[in-house]
Amino acid sequence: MEAMAKTLVVNQERCTGCRLCESVCAVKHDGVVNPMRARIKIEKWEHEGLYVPMICQHCQDAPCMNVCPVKAISRDEALARVMVDYNTCIGCRSCVAVCPFGAMNFNTIDKKVIKCDLCDGEPQCVRFCDIKAVDYVDAAKVSISKKRDAALRMTSAQKKATELEAEM
Amino acid sequence: MAEEKLSTQEAVAQTRTYGQFRCLNPSCTSRLSAQPGQATVKCAKCGSEWRIAWVKAGFPRVRGPVWETSERLADEAMAKKMAEKEGK
Amino acid sequence: MALNRKVAIINLTTGQIESKPIPIDVRKKFLGGRGMNAYLLYNYLKPGVDPLGPDNVLVIGIGMLAATMASATSRTDVMGKSPLTDMIGSTNMGGFFAAELALAGYHHLVFLGKAEKPSYLWVHNGEIEIRDAASVWGKSVTDTQWTIRKEMGDEDIKFAVCGPAGENLVRYANVMTGIKNSAGRTGMGAVMGSKNLKCVAARGTLDIKIAHPTQALEYNKRFIDLITSAKVNQTMGTLGTPFIWGATNSWGGCRTNNFQYNQLRYADDIEPEHLDEISKETCGEYNMTACFNCQVHCRAKYKIPQSPLAEKFGLVGKYDEGPEYTSQGGFCCEVGCTDAATLLCANHLVDQYGVDNLEIGSMIAWAMELYDYGILTSKDTDGVDLRFGNGEAVLEMIHRICQKKTWLGQALAEGPIRAAQKIGRDSEKYLIHVKGMSNLHSDERATPGLALNIAVSSRGSDHLRSRPAIDLYHLPKDVMKRIYSSPVPFEGELSSDHRSYEGKAWQVFWQENCFMGVDCMGICKYHTTFLGATLPNFEDWARVVNYNTGLELTPTEIWTAAERCNMLEKLVNIREGFKRDDPHKGDVLADRYHNEPAKRGAPDVIGATIDREKFKGMRAEFYKHKGCDENGIPTPETIKRLGLENEPSHLL
Repeated sequence: MEAMAKTLVVNQERCTGCRLCESVCAVKHDGVVNPMRARIKIEKWEHEGLYVPMICQHCQDAPCMNVCPVKAISRDEALARVMVDYNTCIGCRSCVAVCPFGAMNFNTIDKKVIKCDLCDGEPQCVRFCDIKAVDYVDAAKVSISKKRDAALRMTSAQKKATELEAEM
Repeated sequence: MAEEKLSTQEAVAQTRTYGQFRCLNPSCTSRLSAQPGQATVKCAKCGSEWRIAWVKAGFPRVRGPVWETSERLADEAMAKKMAEKEGK
Repeated sequence: MALNRKVAIINLTTGQIESKPIPIDVRKKFLGGRGMNAYLLYNYLKPGVDPLGPDNVLVIGIGMLAATMASATSRTDVMGKSPLTDMIGSTNMGGFFAAELALAGYHHLVFLGKAEKPSYLWVHNGEIEIRDAASVWGKSVTDTQWTIRKEMGDEDIKFAVCGPAGENLVRYANVMTGIKNSAGRTGMGAVMGSKNLKCVAARGTLDIKIAHPTQALEYNKRFIDLITSAKVNQTMGTLGTPFIWGATNSWGGCRTNNFQYNQLRYADDIEPEHLDEISKETCGEYNMTACFNCQVHCRAKYKIPQSPLAEKFGLVGKYDEGPEYTSQGGFCCEVGCTDAATLLCANHLVDQYGVDNLEIGSMIAWAMELYDYGILTSKDTDGVDLRFGNGEAVLEMIHRICQKKTWLGQALAEGPIRAAQKIGRDSEKYLIHVKGMSNLHSDERATPGLALNIAVSSRGSDHLRSRPAIDLYHLPKDVMKRIYSSPVPFEGELSSDHRSYEGKAWQVFWQENCFMGVDCMGICKYHTTFLGATLPNFEDWARVVNYNTGLELTPTEIWTAAERCNMLEKLVNIREGFKRDDPHKGDVLADRYHNEPAKRGAPDVIGATIDREKFKGMRAEFYKHKGCDENGIPTPETIKRLGLENEPSHLL
């Protein structure tokens, strides 16, 4: 059996909102700090302390790929990622319009669309995120750890409910 | 970059200890340790007694003094100071 | 050269705006952030002006490394003449404003004059515009920010804002950003208010070029790992800065009931672990939040839990961040309150008004002590029962001071010296201040090194200018020697004993340069040799500066630049009337440090006072290290050595 490629996973409740991921992403790709150039973006609801890292999901049936009129977007199965071929891309931004996650960006300085390329298998956002609000894990294991977390939450909620009942 | 030597601070950082904590009596500062679940620790050197909390597993810290002990030691020290003063 | 940055001179009276590049030779001399601000202030400020008049100068500046990816380059420094002390005003905040201002194209903003009507400054991709602030004048710190974001339809705008306290000219009002990040000392918010400047709003998408991107990524990771692997920072990343208060209070280093005691006993409700429980209950398991590019994430989120006090003041469920250890100081030990409700409510009120938690807590604590002794009566307080431990009185006084209501509220809004003059009746002798700024909540009677630090601090009683906090760790002598002999050698004796007076002057001098250095870089103090002995300083900064900006500086050059910038702050103070032994303008401690023995805490702390003669000896030694004469005035040789003989040189 072929080994399953790794995938980026967001644990939004962990995110501290520091945006180092945005900085290192832009430095890795363009040698500058500029969140506008970053392929990852922390969406914030500052008044309630809610921060959500937004990234490309590298969809199997990617809308950006399907909508591209010149077939500049394709899947690279070796790294399970969706890539843009800039030799073919005409910069029409149809992909930006269609992405359900807002993860296809338009860089207004270089006038081109940009998206996550998983740093060719060594995502810098993950490397620098100590708390692992973004992580890079085996695709097959994502739901396993989520399942365990959810099970733990349910059990402790149940425990609490039983305790409350006992107190009554 | 790879050849960049350890800086003074990076070198000093190699003397860090983990898993222990210091007695917070500033003229004592003995290194103390605690077993998982242990609620208080008494300093063998100065007699101060501390309530222990855990930053995470294997990482204990002093949450605060055991107030009764702290108060008693302070009162004793004060009485000694007063006696010394009167003795002069 | 990656380091092409700009300064803007904004005349609020005429509306004229001038933009200038910062030449590299000026950059090398004054680095950035606080140091460059000191240069700009010294050059633009005329001596003797009214701090709340149009002639005062306000400088907002960000660190040399702002918006690079070096760890926690989030700091904004604000300078002007202080309406609190009438000497140098200087204060520093984290958050996200610094990075956004850099991305918007500016590193320093110098404000002259006074706007005719409430205004704000819009900085966007190199463009600067003075705008009408009618829609936000009178609004709280956060409402101001949310309103402008909504008006402009952009959630990513970042602000440096003054709250209602600044508008009302409370002499210790903050400049703030986000929910709670505060440039909170010396009243720079009041200077904004006096200039009719509600806020600076910044938004940018300009590139901050990294000189050596690949190496910078590698080195920054190493730099960050040195920071996050320290025990203090791991503790802080879980419990926030309250852990500092907890440790200090445990041995008796927190002034309590103003200065009657040095420890708040049986305060389990406000201990960090309990505050953490409240955060977890109200904001979830992962409840820490961070400033720009920081992996330490020391700020907790919380919502105010239900309690009779919170209910009475209409604060149940309000979201805020912190509280920091300084709020535990101002709203717990100093005022004698042991309940989390008072702490969390008061912390929220000061964040909304935009006022210094330390100063307002100290003013209320001082008034409580006066009330305790009958110097103030319930007639003076308009019915408020100002006894120690009364949380309701604390909250009520915060409202009155920030709104400048009632005789006492107005008096306390003026800061220590002016309030004491207004109240009279020998009230001044109960103040705990240096140069007219109240001390933070720490009690330095048992720690001569820390006492020297607050006495000689340029901006008044404060820990963030030169505190040798690691003096309390009983570090082995050889470790102390290694730390304090880099980058310049120190041949004298150092003592591992915090009670000793030996070598402390050097430690304070070293820390003064270290803290100036980190403030020039624009990096947070928790990322240098402050609470953690083994965190980065001069040698590490030389590397991080080079990889990120391409500027080549040796550790010793950074040290000398820091010395130079500290001296500039001193020169501002000398111009504004510094005299060594002047009780209002000198490098002196309140008499109570020398006369009243500490009564609580660890056995060896009991009975501690600062020996007056030994203190003077330590201070004289400190002046020598700085190159000053016995009166604390720099010698002509020192001025020449530091290249300050032509100041003000008006290069910017």
